[in-house]
Amino acid sequence: MALCPCGSARDFAECCSPIIEGAPAPTAEALMRSRYTAFVMRKLDHVERTHAPEVRADFNRAEAERLAEECEWRGLEIRSATETGDTAEVEFVMRFCREQQEVTKTALASFRRDAGQWLYVSSNVDSHATQLRVNKVGRNDPCPCNSGKKAKKCCGTTTELK
Amino acid sequence: MAARHFHCTACGKCCHGQLPLTCKDAFANAARFPLCFVWTPLRQGSKDYLQVANLGATIKLPGGKKLAVLIVPTVYLPSSFPCPALGSDNLCTIHHNKPSRCQTMPFYPYREERFQAELLIPRPGWDCDTSTAAPIVFQDNKVVCREYFDLERRDLLEQVPVLRGYADYMLKYSPALVSSLLTAASKARAGHVITSLSSFLTATKNSEATHLAQLQLPILNEYLAKTSGYPQLNDFHKNYLNWSKEMAYLAQRQM
Repeated sequence: MALCPCGSARDFAECCSPIIEGAPAPTAEALMRSRYTAFVMRKLDHVERTHAPEVRADFNRAEAERLAEECEWRGLEIRSATETGDTAEVEFVMRFCREQQEVTKTALASFRRDAGQWLYVSSNVDSHATQLRVNKVGRNDPCPCNSGKKAKKCCGTTTELK
Repeated sequence: MAARHFHCTACGKCCHGQLPLTCKDAFANAARFPLCFVWTPLRQGSKDYLQVANLGATIKLPGGKKLAVLIVPTVYLPSSFPCPALGSDNLCTIHHNKPSRCQTMPFYPYREERFQAELLIPRPGWDCDTSTAAPIVFQDNKVVCREYFDLERRDLLEQVPVLRGYADYMLKYSPALVSSLLTAASKARAGHVITSLSSFLTATKNSEATHLAQLQLPILNEYLAKTSGYPQLNDFHKNYLNWSKEMAYLAQRQM
């Protein structure tokens, strides 16, 4: 038996594997777990396929492929899962290592059941989400606007020459 | 106000480093230039705030203040690197068909017209002719030879809705972008934030994404190799690597 990466302590073959291969997820939590496992296994067709139609085209698959490859996945923890009819919310904590940095991401994900299939709708990532890299420009470096002027004398400080 | 003279001596000095492009020029040159998007935030109260808000996006901050952000498709090159279209004779190899940004130089329609005079002052090391022998190009706060200035300004205005849509997408799916922009806008650490072509192609649901990725991939790999082994170019190298992976995926994708 191979333990499922989603942390369920169940056999992968009986946990996320069939869902990733296309079987309907019995619960929103099961879908959440299988989407995490799909990142670990780099089977992102499953992640894309289980986006709700209105957000599917917004999925940056190229970036997701890169992240799936770059990250060392440390684990998933489901904090709570609430299903109300055909909608559900799952709060989870995801841990991974990226660029030698250990990252913990907490989020509340929303799901919807369409024709018996659970689909991912959206998530609110906590405010400690990783920042994009900010390219520092020193006050004496060339301004990022490419004017060729020093940053301190450029954008925001233009002067009218007489 | 005195008339300002300017004549380009084709010294090639301004053909180095990052080059802001219109969306149109960026995609027309996807096989030639490594592309990214550069976000330059300006705080309310900055002199260029209105112009940047006009050409870019405005982001509401917690607390009621706003940031104006210029979002510019950009040729992503270290400042020491020549433009890939600069020939060995130091002349432009695509002169007849070069991007509007290059046509309009030294003017810069991202800024208000009345502020253009200072852009005519040659940067250190540049060989621009600004003597009275050179033609008058700016007078009474107006650009005299204005064909390219107006064309580029028109393209910049035309693409505003697309860039605002992109900003909405990024803020929805990368909410941490706001704090990155705030960091970039803070006085102590002025800077910009860089986003990938893949995010723009996804946000704008670009139907040519596969084709554009196929054009970008070799050029990104070329610059990945050119920046290898230089610690000071590490940021560039890392970005080329990331984007190359993304374009490699998109290039082989069946749409």
